[in-house]
Amino acid sequence: MRIWRYELILLLRNRLALAGLILLALLGAASVATGLAEVARQRAAIARIAPAQAEDVAAVAHWAAPKGDPGDAAYYTFHATWDPPSPLAFAALGMRDVSPYILRIRALGLEAQIYDGDNFNPELALPGRFEWAFVLVFLVPLFTIALFHDLASGEREAGRARMLAVLPGGASRVMRRRTLLRLALIVLAVGVPFLVGAAVSGVGPVTVLAVLALTVAYTGFWVGVAALVSRLRWSSVTNAATLAAIWLLLVLVVPAAAHVAVNRLVPVPPGSAIALAQREAVNGAWDIPREATMRRFYAEHPQWADSAPLPTAFHWKWYFAFHQNGDRSVAPQVAAYRAGLERRAAVGDALGWLLPPVGVQAALTRLADTDARAQLAYRDRVRAYHRALREFYYTYLFHDRPFGLADFGKAPRFDAR
Amino acid sequence: MSAAGLIARDELRLMTRNRVAAVALILLVVLTLVASLTAWGHQRAIADTRARQQSEAAAAFNAQPDRHPHRMVHYGQFIYRPLGPLAAFDPGVDAFTGNSMFLEGHRQNTANFGDVQQSSMLVRFGQLTPAFVLQAVAPLLLIFLGFGVVARERERGTLRPLLVGGASRASIVGGKLAALGAVAGVAGVPAVIALMLIAGQPGAHALPMLVIAGGYFTYLALWTVLVVLVSAAVKRSRDALLVLLALWSVTVVLVPRVAPDLAGAAVPLANRIDTDIAIARDLRRAGDSHNPDDPTFAAFKRRTLARYGVERVEDLPVNYKGLLAVEGERITSGLFDRYAAAGFAAQERQGALVAAAGLLSPAVALRDLSMAAAGTDNAGHRRFLEQAERYRYMLVQRLNRLQADSVRYADDTAKDAGADRRKRIDAGHWQAIPPFTFDAPTGATLAAAALPGLAMVAAWLMAALGGLALVTRRLGAR
Repeated sequence: MRIWRYELILLLRNRLALAGLILLALLGAASVATGLAEVARQRAAIARIAPAQAEDVAAVAHWAAPKGDPGDAAYYTFHATWDPPSPLAFAALGMRDVSPYILRIRALGLEAQIYDGDNFNPELALPGRFEWAFVLVFLVPLFTIALFHDLASGEREAGRARMLAVLPGGASRVMRRRTLLRLALIVLAVGVPFLVGAAVSGVGPVTVLAVLALTVAYTGFWVGVAALVSRLRWSSVTNAATLAAIWLLLVLVVPAAAHVAVNRLVPVPPGSAIALAQREAVNGAWDIPREATMRRFYAEHPQWADSAPLPTAFHWKWYFAFHQNGDRSVAPQVAAYRAGLERRAAVGDALGWLLPPVGVQAALTRLADTDARAQLAYRDRVRAYHRALREFYYTYLFHDRPFGLADFGKAPRFDAR
Repeated sequence: MSAAGLIARDELRLMTRNRVAAVALILLVVLTLVASLTAWGHQRAIADTRARQQSEAAAAFNAQPDRHPHRMVHYGQFIYRPLGPLAAFDPGVDAFTGNSMFLEGHRQNTANFGDVQQSSMLVRFGQLTPAFVLQAVAPLLLIFLGFGVVARERERGTLRPLLVGGASRASIVGGKLAALGAVAGVAGVPAVIALMLIAGQPGAHALPMLVIAGGYFTYLALWTVLVVLVSAAVKRSRDALLVLLALWSVTVVLVPRVAPDLAGAAVPLANRIDTDIAIARDLRRAGDSHNPDDPTFAAFKRRTLARYGVERVEDLPVNYKGLLAVEGERITSGLFDRYAAAGFAAQERQGALVAAAGLLSPAVALRDLSMAAAGTDNAGHRRFLEQAERYRYMLVQRLNRLQADSVRYADDTAKDAGADRRKRIDAGHWQAIPPFTFDAPTGATLAAAALPGLAMVAAWLMAALGGLALVTRRLGAR
């Protein structure tokens, strides 16, 4: 055990190494702090929904309830949905800064509502967030390179390599010890801030272990790269330059090029075409016989077919029926769009098996439920909720039941998960 | 040949002998070319798609049959954000903003279907564009090729013989600078080719291109000076390499990410639900056009009746429901504008904080300058959003006017079976509405927006040159 302590003292006497490790720990801590702050901000925004919604719904109810027309209630009442951040989201915010995590919807055609974005500053989102995942994926390799590039070559250049080689057990034992020590210190420098954040945020033990395993494996990968390069027996300076070039390729250039390739090879039908087609279907309904609209609607929703025939004047059930017909008419496009997005996400994740930085990022955002898949899953929950909302209003609309003040409180509530 | 020239030639000869260096330079050139070609192809494809979708949407709008004008208010119009030719060099925030927008009455929608929402998370690793290659990769190449230019001479003990041999300190440093500068020049060539490709496109302005070229040239010159400066200031070449790599990772990778996070935390941005509910609240205070007893709209009714000198809305020569729609849209749009302006102002404050980080990182200043000149920054997006809102307002109010002037009040309020037919007006009315055309900024506007960033990069260069002059004076003193 004593020899490990001496190695540690030797390493920490190197001012550059010590400064590097302290800096890495500070960056890790700062990223955890900004991640926690961002997640707290998102939670606060979600917590603000309930009172704001209550006020808004009360205002609609205030003027709509006296008339008791369920169509007014269905048309004017917005219902909130939200996607709360998972406990691990603080470490890997993924797409949560550019995809909406709050969306208000009405019982009208969903395809015109579900793709709405939220307000965000695109210039802030452009470079990516300063989060723990960034520290691990982008910065840990750089610190690993700094600590490992001269592990063997440094001894050679200092003239100690031969002396080490004649030690009992040879130089490899010393090198193994040093390698393990440095690896452990790097993992500690980023791992401890993460553990603190995970404890604060309440991340489950299995997830914590998975993240730590990823951290060790990823750092180990870069240690391995450094070891491979050092076998070429170049000078420390050449090692450092080579490793930095490998870092640049693996972390910045190849993923960026892969992004271009994936978007080209995995086409996604333009989303705006869905919105366009849906609008045509919905607005075209004003120009076709109302009975045709109702026939089509009842054919797909026989549970409402026993509703009274349309009066000559405007009736909301016709209006909602053609909105739903509009959604229905673009369903194949919606499915194709979703399938395309899923394929892209899958190909991107699969590249992680070839590119460790991509793999770690993908694994972290998957564990944190903040990746593209999580956005699609949220969209699915919104769809299910929208279905429930429609059913709720339809029971009033199609049976001509008056919608009173108390009925506003009976609308189904969104179940976040 | 002067001493500086000889030293530069010698240094270049050394670099060409270094096969790793040659391969790295070739790789960079190839990378820039690939990035230029893909970004150019991407930009052209996007521009074509959006132009096509825009004309399809306009055609669909014009093809609408005879309708009640308010139906057209809800039918609305899709518009697409056009992408300027310089976006092929630096697409900026285009992937993040969403590029299509639905304009309709009573509502101000967001731009949606941005590339980011439609991509795998690979998008978060950065975009392969000429701007990215020059901002991030080219400085790294200069570091690899140049970290030893002066330090090596000192390490090997060749510095003093050079000085004794009559070469002045300035000529040694000058020669090294010239050699590395030549490499930087070569690294910049593919980007210049890319700019020339873009210059051939319609709508490409010369002035912003000059600013971009000047900005990147200054940036590469800055890194050349920094590399020589550090190489001359430290004792050993390995220290020079480590210092330069640290400098690069902090200024190119770290600060550009940390600054936006701090700016976002310092200046909060209202989210959509906050804004929507606040607007709804203000609208209720402003007046409720559904409520016959509402004071705002009762006053409007009185004013309108007085203006036309009649007693009842039925006696007005125009359709009162149309007038009400015009007034209602005026009030809601005023609120939209106010909240949008507050949102823009908050984003601008955030942007100013990030721009201030240019004091810590020339890469941030260069990015700002590059996006501003290409018209792909937040200001460019705001330009689109504001023009979209102006167009939306014009469109909706024109349709509301049509309701006031061309639909009779008696028909508009009738509920009999034939009323629907009588409420409709001729489709020629919508065909007469001009389509949305994006009023692109002039070259001078774009160039002017990029000047603060350019000034900051230039200030960095001046400071680095000053530092180099100081270091040069003490070169070989110990």
